[in-house]
Amino acid sequence: MAIVSAPKDGERESAAEAAAVRYEHVTKRYPGQDRPAIQDLNLEVPAGDICVLVGPSGCGKTTAMRMVNRTVEITEGDILVGGTSVREREPAQLRREIGYVIQEVGLFPHRTVAANIATVPELLGWPRERREARVHELLDLVRLDQDFAGRYPAQLSGGQQQRVGVARALAADPRVMLMDEPFGAIDPITRDQLQNEFLRLQGEIRKTVLFVTHDIDEAIKMGDRVAVLKEGGRLAQYATPAELLMAPADDFVEDFVGADRALKRLALMRVRDIDLWEAPLAFVGQATGEVRAKLEGAEVPHALLVDSRRRPLGWLSERDLAGDLVPEHPDSSPEPVLDLDDVMRDALAELLRSGAQYAPVADGSGVVAGVLSIEIIAEFLKSPKALTEEHPAAERPRD
Amino acid sequence: MTSFRLIAAAGQLPQDFFQNRAHKTCIQEQGTVCPGWALDHIGEWVTPTLQHIVLVAVPVACGFVVAFGMALLAHRRRWLVAPFLGVSDVLFTIPSFALFYILLPLTGLGRTTAIIALTAYTLVILFRNTYSGLSNVPEEVKDAGRGMGLTERQLLWRVELPLAVPEIIGGLRIATVSTVALATLAVFINGGGLGVKVYPDISFLTGVLTTGIILLALAFVLDVALVIAQRLATPWLRVAQSR
Repeated sequence: MAIVSAPKDGERESAAEAAAVRYEHVTKRYPGQDRPAIQDLNLEVPAGDICVLVGPSGCGKTTAMRMVNRTVEITEGDILVGGTSVREREPAQLRREIGYVIQEVGLFPHRTVAANIATVPELLGWPRERREARVHELLDLVRLDQDFAGRYPAQLSGGQQQRVGVARALAADPRVMLMDEPFGAIDPITRDQLQNEFLRLQGEIRKTVLFVTHDIDEAIKMGDRVAVLKEGGRLAQYATPAELLMAPADDFVEDFVGADRALKRLALMRVRDIDLWEAPLAFVGQATGEVRAKLEGAEVPHALLVDSRRRPLGWLSERDLAGDLVPEHPDSSPEPVLDLDDVMRDALAELLRSGAQYAPVADGSGVVAGVLSIEIIAEFLKSPKALTEEHPAAERPRD
Repeated sequence: MTSFRLIAAAGQLPQDFFQNRAHKTCIQEQGTVCPGWALDHIGEWVTPTLQHIVLVAVPVACGFVVAFGMALLAHRRRWLVAPFLGVSDVLFTIPSFALFYILLPLTGLGRTTAIIALTAYTLVILFRNTYSGLSNVPEEVKDAGRGMGLTERQLLWRVELPLAVPEIIGGLRIATVSTVALATLAVFINGGGLGVKVYPDISFLTGVLTTGIILLALAFVLDVALVIAQRLATPWLRVAQSR
């Protein structure tokens, strides 16, 4: 599998179809309500980005999203999709160009998975062979077995249903996707899996996505940009996840982001993004004197024994260094060995789990790149400097 | 007894209408049920049975068309639900004889009057079930449908009606079976049907029982046919159950 966290601007070709979405002074008033549900909302979602609308219940995030495909009508202002006003479009036509995924999935219970996925292609009058080929392709894309094509929704688990829901929304290659708490009703483990799969998918398809959630962790994980809404649909902050965590615009955002925002930052970066300690390396058969000399100025109290290709074999204890030459079998194993591409939060968890203060970090081919310690992470969390760097795709899953 | 004799007398009944006893020498001797006699004379039931089928099929079909139209209207304009329910409820509560009397000056004696009255009785159940079938389509399914660009008409025919099929057919089953029973009253306004073999001579046990068995069989066959139709129309329900 290719690494999904590809450079943002390098993949614009496949995003040719995605359209930017622009809210221009959008206001929504429901009849019989004093205060508007959305007030003068201005928002620009670049083509191919995931924009997460997040906020407490009643903040109007779903209303804001639904005005894009006109399942909720705009009272004042306008929304432009690819530069065209949605108000000038015939709603049914407009909606066929916009993928729509909702929390309750809403699969048609009387139609097979294949027929469900082919809904919009059918409305658009695609010939049968093209529809079938597309269904086949989409089942692969959402990693469902081809056998599912003939099944009915009632025969699927919740997670499988939402995969079909996503496939159905993607069927006619929409320019924009609207996703209203798509993984909200799914158990945490499956949700995590579906989130990762969607991010992987997004790496391939690069749609413009408006994603609604009330869960700030999901927002930080999924969003290229996060729009935090307060009650009345007012935009509290619109920023990248890193900016949001580093510099909340006001008390409301700070509160909403949570007291543990420092920890959340760890989810946004990878081990390679931080300055590691240099590992005092030792080779089998090397003179122990040399190793001791190397340990003099080192931050790590023990030397790391590596093979000829610099892959870690274990930590050398005092007893290992008692002889003249470095022995072949050190006292302790090098575990845990972290990877440069590990998400920082996972690396910390791994350190805590193993009870180690520090661990070697290897690159993709297993060669030691340095040492990560709990001390480094603690220093990092203390210094605001490290947070100013943007690590937008750090959480992107990799295979 | 006298009341229906009066009604019956008002029509042009065959001369031997009340003379069935003349044929049942077997019964006169035994005084009770005689299946052999019934089998010998089963031909007498053929025409009433065919008439009866018409008295069931036509009202149920007409009632379905009317109730279906009402349900579609009420589905679009919710304020119509209350008046429609009210009207169909009132129709249902009118006793059949009273309804016959009301219709007599308009449509006279005969099958037409019977069909109109029986149609009126099917409306309640057919309207209620069709309407509730449409209303019970899950909101998220409609939301998803609209959100994908189905027009209201496409939503109705491709999503709402298919999902309402179980309730619609449920209504048809009740309407059909109850009309099989109710249609026996058509005889009182000279409408024919299996009532011809019951009411004019209700003390003739063999005849009444034979008619009863035919009515039961008719109700059963029609009901089974509708169940089969529903199963064919709703394959998705079977897999859900077998899961």
